[in-house]
Amino acid sequence: MGYYDSVEISASGLSAERLAMDVIANNIANANTTRTPQGGAFKRQLVIFAQKPAAPDGSDQVGSQASDDPFAPPNPFDPSSSEPANVEGVQALGIQDDPTPDRLVFEPNNPEADARGYVHYPNVEIVKEMVDLMAASRAYQANVAAITASQNMGNNDLSILKS
Amino acid sequence: MADFSVLPLGQTVTLLGEAAKGAKQEHDQIANNIANVNTPGFRTSYLDFRSALQDSLGDPPDPDALAMATDDDRQFPVGDGSAPVPYDPQPQVDTTTQMRVDGSNVDIDQQMAQLSSNTGYQETVSQLLQEQYKFIREASTEQPN
Repeated sequence: MGYYDSVEISASGLSAERLAMDVIANNIANANTTRTPQGGAFKRQLVIFAQKPAAPDGSDQVGSQASDDPFAPPNPFDPSSSEPANVEGVQALGIQDDPTPDRLVFEPNNPEADARGYVHYPNVEIVKEMVDLMAASRAYQANVAAITASQNMGNNDLSILKS
Repeated sequence: MADFSVLPLGQTVTLLGEAAKGAKQEHDQIANNIANVNTPGFRTSYLDFRSALQDSLGDPPDPDALAMATDDDRQFPVGDGSAPVPYDPQPQVDTTTQMRVDGSNVDIDQQMAQLSSNTGYQETVSQLLQEQYKFIREASTEQPN
């Protein structure tokens, strides 16, 4: 177990939460986008978080991952698992589209309207995005606090040398 | 794994070193819990190194108390203490509580409180270690400072 493990763990949390904030910002920016290269309205995007898998040769890691798939999240939705968690941090597995249907607004004069006069707007809800943004921002702050605590602990250890 | 029978610098320094190491390992667990605060299905893990440290010291029998005599293995011994067990704390997973509908049970407030208390504990251990080394230096240089 290295000395800077805790900083790396918190740094993985920082980059994961920053990615979440980037995706949320993209959702808000495209809240009214009706045209995308894939065709159709913009789809709200979600970041999938998972615990980082353990290093295969980690001698001090408890409960190594048996799965061959490196993207398989360990113990997903398995509350019965009592296996000790690896101290490896967090990772973003990927970005997925929200499958909820588009928001339909009746605007027959809009050039984007379909045959029945409805415009397909993205399934983005600004209020929901703001709440998610707040949660990601607070989690980011918590990781920063953990890094600060790591620094303080390192300084305490170093001051032993001064005695 | 501490061997408290061989003590080059005194038992206190060895104990404090193990305590500082345990605080560092617990800090890794707390940092991991905080980093995974938004991970669906994540279960909080913790490291109870304090009780492991206590068990590693054993419980020596009270010299002023009379131990109860036993003549059968099935009788419970009373008053003759317990033997030390090797110090090897293992992280444990909390499967009892649930904070969110996605299966995560990270209580961020609790984790921040533990982070704070663990940092304070580590600082205390560090200060005590400094005091111990000060004693050793005073003894070896015969210079009080």
